[in-house]
Amino acid sequence: MSDLSFDGYAPTWCPGCGDWGIRVGIKSALEQLGFDPSTLFISFDIGCSGNMNDFINGYAMHGLHGRSIPTAVGMKCAHHDMKTIVIGGDGGIYGEGGNHFLHACRGNHDITVIVHDNMVYGLTTGQVAPTAKKGFKSKSTPQGIIEVPVNPLALAITQGASFVSQGFAGDARSLIEIIKAAVTHKGFSLVNILQPCVTFNKINTYQYYLKNTYKLPEDYKSGDKKEAIAKSMEVYEEKYPLGILYREEKPAYHENIPQLEGPLVNRVRFTDFEPFTSSFV
Amino acid sequence: MRFNWKIGGEAGFGIMTSGLAFAKIATRSGYNIFDYAEYPSLIRGGHNTYEVLVSSDTLTAPKWDIDLLVCLNKETFDLHKYRLTDKSMIVFDPEMFSPDIPCIQIPIGFTQIKKTEKIDQMMVNTIAVAASIALLGGALQVFEELIHQQFDRKGKEVVNFNLRLAKIGYVEAMKSKHPKLDILKKKDVFKQKMVIAGNESYCLGAMAADCRYYASYPMTPASSVLTTLAVWQSKNQMVVRHPEDELSAINSALGAAFAGVRASVGTSGGGFALMTEAISYAGIAEIPIVVFLAMRPGPATGVPTWTEQGDLLFAVHAGHGEFPKMVLAPGDPEEMVALTLKAFDLADVYQTPCIVVSDKFLSESHTSPDKEMIDQKLKNHEIRRGKIVPDTKESPYLRYKCADDGISEMLIPGKKGVFYQANSYEHVEDSHTTEDVGVRVQQVDKRNAKILTYFKHDFELPKIFGDLKEADIVFVSWGSVKGSILEVQKMLVDKKTAYIHFTHLYPMPEEPIRLLFAQCEGKRIVLIENNSQAQFGQLLRMQSGIFIREKFLKYDGRPIWPEEIRDYILGKRAQSEKIEKNIKEIAQSETAEVKSEGIKSQQEQDLLCKLEIFSKGSD
Repeated sequence: MSDLSFDGYAPTWCPGCGDWGIRVGIKSALEQLGFDPSTLFISFDIGCSGNMNDFINGYAMHGLHGRSIPTAVGMKCAHHDMKTIVIGGDGGIYGEGGNHFLHACRGNHDITVIVHDNMVYGLTTGQVAPTAKKGFKSKSTPQGIIEVPVNPLALAITQGASFVSQGFAGDARSLIEIIKAAVTHKGFSLVNILQPCVTFNKINTYQYYLKNTYKLPEDYKSGDKKEAIAKSMEVYEEKYPLGILYREEKPAYHENIPQLEGPLVNRVRFTDFEPFTSSFV
Repeated sequence: MRFNWKIGGEAGFGIMTSGLAFAKIATRSGYNIFDYAEYPSLIRGGHNTYEVLVSSDTLTAPKWDIDLLVCLNKETFDLHKYRLTDKSMIVFDPEMFSPDIPCIQIPIGFTQIKKTEKIDQMMVNTIAVAASIALLGGALQVFEELIHQQFDRKGKEVVNFNLRLAKIGYVEAMKSKHPKLDILKKKDVFKQKMVIAGNESYCLGAMAADCRYYASYPMTPASSVLTTLAVWQSKNQMVVRHPEDELSAINSALGAAFAGVRASVGTSGGGFALMTEAISYAGIAEIPIVVFLAMRPGPATGVPTWTEQGDLLFAVHAGHGEFPKMVLAPGDPEEMVALTLKAFDLADVYQTPCIVVSDKFLSESHTSPDKEMIDQKLKNHEIRRGKIVPDTKESPYLRYKCADDGISEMLIPGKKGVFYQANSYEHVEDSHTTEDVGVRVQQVDKRNAKILTYFKHDFELPKIFGDLKEADIVFVSWGSVKGSILEVQKMLVDKKTAYIHFTHLYPMPEEPIRLLFAQCEGKRIVLIENNSQAQFGQLLRMQSGIFIREKFLKYDGRPIWPEEIRDYILGKRAQSEKIEKNIKEIAQSETAEVKSEGIKSQQEQDLLCKLEIFSKGSD
């Protein structure tokens, strides 16, 4: 075990915020798997979730809102021996970066995307998020949101993600196990974490989630895509399954690139230019 | 002698391929070329043209007058009437039309050959190219070798078929009564030449600069960089990706650059607009990135397949907030190779974005530099990564440690016992977020200090062509206009001219530029740009206070022809007015004709021919 700690600065989140539990989940999972800050890439999105950049150490990028998935994809392509994790919120991953999300699922990029799903924008002080229930009233939707919520689990499963899971910030113990499984999985893994925003969301509270979540049964078969999609649809009845909904083994994106036998960053410089100039004669 | 060959026909029938073949036939016979292609933003329908200028002398620009026009349809003739002289040779099919102006007529029965040989329109190109070789005194063998090279992998049948068509075209043209010229007469000794355009030069430069990650979303005229590098990657081990959008392209490239590899993206104006936020991120997080920006006329979708230097100020100001960035603008494929190599060094050394600006004219027009010279340039390039290091002794690691030159050490991630972040928020030296007053100022100053360091070590003053002291007329320009100005200097033999050619456009130190222009006092200084707002003029004034009053600007989507500058300098407005009038007349008369004669009819014919072949095959 390295003496480098994952602990950065003291978190600045609101007391009672679900982010605290998520941080414990991520940190413990990584420690238990034997990682230290110099052995992994982390791509942080922008938001209360992304602010974890200062509270969890790593070789990290704290980039632009919505773009944490592409930066992670680039990191992975350049140095695929490094474990690569994305930490973001429902706004960055499913809203601003929704396009990147579905295409990263398609590519089965070997990254773990951890989403803080609290159905509201915290850092910008309480506007609606794309996962909010239809009719949710917020500062930006005082008459209630017209759109139906994004269904991240169904979206991920149908677009080709090879590991799709859901956790709850109030159950750190289970969350650690889910994150461990996601990080260990080879290919695109999603951990959607239901999380109360104690300041701006008075509906989806700890009590709400305790009432509406349930753990997938022991005998649940995560390899059945149709069953997983059925489970992911339960969100419309306000039932939230917790655990690993779907899992399959298939080659990750970088494994499909023949020139990525070893990490791109480590290979020797290519210098045989002449055949290329010859092709223009 | 500069001989201008031009072929035109309906879009989608291989005009581009035959133009490039002709260019290679010329260089393989020992000549220099400059080529220029025009095509609409369509795959089928519309009109494509390809002109190749051939000479023993070095060529830098196209020529206005057409010496040999190969018309694969009547439209080609109608649309180019105004560039023909009574000495122009016209290859045409008498079954389609006959030229109604004084010129040298060379009838070839393409339609008849099509019928007897049962070939589709695409194959007529081969006949036309071979016929051109015959008329210009070239060796058919050069073409035959090219055919072998192109089609050998498709099997003997395809090769022999093409060889036969080439022979037919050659023999048909030899029947013409017109005396054969020696424009393409094969030379005994000559240096091996490449046929290369700006985009391809960027590819070579990026490869030799050890760029390992290229991501791009297709957009004319930058797309061929993506498709070329994509084909090359299996051989040179670059990772080339076509992601979901330009945002993903540049942010993934920043991820790769953070991880330690040289990375680049390529796009045109619209895609570049999407990338600007990430350019700003690269600025504050100090991530090296090279952006290839191939301009086309905007705003918005604009005139997609044509040319303009309309995004210079946009490139200069790309990205919110204040941070250093370098903007380089090559003027020809050779400079493109050199400046691309340099751009990757600058991005690394200064750990900031570097933008290489091109335009459709430069990106897609081929010239013929000596291969050995390009080979040497690529081979001899020594990579400078500056303070990007694979190892460090520092712990805790201060990624943004203050330094007089503004540049901190950047460790390639992976070393055990160390970590840091590339933070888009303002940060302290160890990269954690801050809003502290003092640190904010310190980090802004640190990043800005890179500009002075750049002035000291890497900025290059403009190149001067001609004798600045002696000159009465001084041209000032940048980018692809270079070639036309060099040509004008040759045309204006009676005038003393000089050309100040800027390549390092931004940032620019004030004093040396002022000193340079102090030498131009009392001279006629003319700013020439392919845009409507004299963007470089504005930039020059902004950075140095130099204001150039006289401007020659063109913004109709077409490049600036040397003849246009010449006429402007000599005050011959009449010439260009005549041309304009001609164009208008043609436009009016041809709209109707094109409709009635029907682009469709040729397409339909082609389809019927293919269907016939298909139905026979299935018997």
